[in-house]
Amino acid sequence: MKNVRIWFKKDFECRYISHLDLNRTMLRALHKSKIPIWHTEGFNPHPFATFPLPLSLGFRGVNECMDVRLEDEEFSFEEIKNRLNACLPRGLRVFDVTEAVMKAGKVAYASFTILLSLPDKSSRLVCEQLGALLQNDTIEIEKKSKKGMKTVDIKPGIKSFSVTELFDCAKLDVVLSAGSSDNVNPNLLIAALSRATGCEYDADITRNELYNSEFEPFR
Amino acid sequence: MVSKKVEKLLLKVQKPGRYVGGELNEVIKNKRDVEVRFAFCFPDTYEVGMSHLGMKILYSQFNSVPYIWCERVFAPWVDMEEEMVKNHIPLYALESGDPLSDFDFIGFTLQYELSYTNMLNMLKLGEVPVTTEARGNELKHIVVAGGPCACNPEPIADFVDLFFIGEGEEVDLEVMELFRQCKKEGADKREFLRRCAQIEGVYVPSLYEVAYHEDGTIKSFVPKDGAPAVVHKRLMLDMDKSYYPDNFVVPMVEIVHDRAVQEIFRGCIRGCRFCQAGFIYRPVREKSPDTINAQCRALCENTGYDEVSLSSLSSSDYSQIVPLLEKLTEWSGEEKVSLSLPSLRVDGFTDEIMNKIKTVRKSGLTFAPEAGSQRMRDVINKNVQHDELMQTCATAFAGGWTTVKLYFMIGLPTETMDDVAAIAQLGQDVVDTYYRTPNHAKGKSVRVTVSASSFVPKPFTPFQWEPQDTISQLHEKQEHIKKSITTKKVQFNYHDADTSFLEAVFARGDRKLCRVMALACERGFHFDGWNDCFSLEKWMALFEECGIDPAFYANRRRSFDEILPWDHIDYGVEKRFLQKECQKAYENTTTPHCRLKCSGCGAAKYGRGVCFEKRKDLV
Repeated sequence: MKNVRIWFKKDFECRYISHLDLNRTMLRALHKSKIPIWHTEGFNPHPFATFPLPLSLGFRGVNECMDVRLEDEEFSFEEIKNRLNACLPRGLRVFDVTEAVMKAGKVAYASFTILLSLPDKSSRLVCEQLGALLQNDTIEIEKKSKKGMKTVDIKPGIKSFSVTELFDCAKLDVVLSAGSSDNVNPNLLIAALSRATGCEYDADITRNELYNSEFEPFR
Repeated sequence: MVSKKVEKLLLKVQKPGRYVGGELNEVIKNKRDVEVRFAFCFPDTYEVGMSHLGMKILYSQFNSVPYIWCERVFAPWVDMEEEMVKNHIPLYALESGDPLSDFDFIGFTLQYELSYTNMLNMLKLGEVPVTTEARGNELKHIVVAGGPCACNPEPIADFVDLFFIGEGEEVDLEVMELFRQCKKEGADKREFLRRCAQIEGVYVPSLYEVAYHEDGTIKSFVPKDGAPAVVHKRLMLDMDKSYYPDNFVVPMVEIVHDRAVQEIFRGCIRGCRFCQAGFIYRPVREKSPDTINAQCRALCENTGYDEVSLSSLSSSDYSQIVPLLEKLTEWSGEEKVSLSLPSLRVDGFTDEIMNKIKTVRKSGLTFAPEAGSQRMRDVINKNVQHDELMQTCATAFAGGWTTVKLYFMIGLPTETMDDVAAIAQLGQDVVDTYYRTPNHAKGKSVRVTVSASSFVPKPFTPFQWEPQDTISQLHEKQEHIKKSITTKKVQFNYHDADTSFLEAVFARGDRKLCRVMALACERGFHFDGWNDCFSLEKWMALFEECGIDPAFYANRRRSFDEILPWDHIDYGVEKRFLQKECQKAYENTTTPHCRLKCSGCGAAKYGRGVCFEKRKDLV
């Protein structure tokens, strides 16, 4: 048995499916592909796959990964990639298969590119609004938790950022805390911006890369 | 394929995955390479429509023809509809993203009467005029419809250019071919429709004139322009040769029936007197176990589904069910595919079948005795005995099951309050059977769910002349069951009587209802099958505004010699036979099923199917 990490892009139509839908789609593709991976041994056996860091609905993911356990250790990675791509919808494309170098729980940060625009407003204005928000020492937002609404400061979770003015939008490159303990969803950042300015933004969000706590790319 | 404009809306609505297409196995063609563009519309949400087998069959079959591109369209849920209207985005097909108004054919499958408003609403959202008249005479935007509700097309006759009567596999393609020819010849729509009416199984409502008596019943129904006086249904006679897809579009978002579906036969031998499907799909025609096995396997291989459901009106009536299950389980275990067998009859649940389905998945057990008392079950010709039901439940309890769902109907013809109370008693009897079964699951309690829906009289059944109980009568019966249940182990659910009433109005309506439908569309009615949207009050106000009494359609007893709105349509079962069955119901007399004895319903005229099987006692 060998732990294998399957790297894929989630884009186009598949941007709009939830993590649960992605999970189901992947399991079905794995089943169809007949790749010799380990199945659960319950009453309804199904292929076993885990995702180190789920991606929110609506985000594009260019470096997403999923872990499976390969039963036949000799089975070629290239074959996994080709077979899976033949079984997946066009919005999900496997581009690499590797051994799982780091443990899934090691994910600590994620980098995003966020394109923000306001209908009928210049991208310069949006850049200025972003700049103003990110300069603050604290960025507080209301977050739904199990005990009702609570206020959290997401500023400590913003590890680095840069804002660039493009022709029709503002481009924000940002690295945020990620993982099971201390996760900042970029939607929270946009919600904070909306709260500060009273504007409704169109946002196009791409997750680029995951990192461990040492800022090494997650592999 | 979604446009940038649509993408902007997607993050504002629930489950946007329903509006984007892009699933595995969807069919993309180049629109310049095809001659006919067909928008296959399901007048309900994506999750409901994508679960429908008929749509899968016809989608694949249309697309197997090089000159046709068939695409899917579903009704957007209310939040998406609101956004689309606000942003001026017309309803579009999932494959190309093109608006409905780009299509030659706009086809609807009509599975239930309460989806009629969605059909009109979808046309409206697609910026296609809703009436045949308003769409004009140019050879485009041909609105067609089929499915079980097409057996009484009259309440929507003003909106649909042509109806497919019966099974669509052949007739649909004949109409496409005629369209292609008419287009080449430069014929207009009226000419096309006139010629369509000559194809068997096609009903063109605009070619018929209806006159009414003063009391509102039909006086005459006259064809014109050479249209046939009676339209005969089409059906597939050799199921082994009938088209069946080896591939389904595999949705990414979860749908209602998210599994592969394998049809095993059409029709039903039973002839339960309330059941429309049991009559309009006659005669029973089976697929051979080899065909089913091969089709099933291909479907699982191509979709990646790990569950396959064997579909029919009554699975245990498949004549070779055990050999079939043996064949399927030869590979299904190894391929990690589980089998499910819905629509099991009370008397069909044997040890053998139970053990075969138990090897793969233990789902809940559902049976439909339909009525509580034996007399009532005889009236509806359910042909299920009390002891059989108890025996079956005992088998299931001994096999480890602890929950049973029982489906019933209230408001059946000749029903008394005692018959109604018998429903509660039957639930209690099942509970007692559990505790009497020596080897039932240890230390576990039993749960029996009793569900009661309201009887809706349907065309082409022996009860097509019957009045439906009024809403208040139905409420009274629901209360009576509730009162009669004395144990917490029996849980009682019932179906809303208001929607059943509206269903009854449209099921047996005539063309006078078209005006109500048009007004409903204007006022933005939609999703009447969903509690979120349905309002009987609003409908009653519409009826009043149009000067129409809905009780005329739902609650009136019709006489045997009245001309019924669907009398010009022939499903093979003769009216004379339905009348005889209705009489027998009044006498509490049952009719044996097709394999025991032919009762001469008329369906033998097709020359195939169960009517020509050798009966066991004759072998």
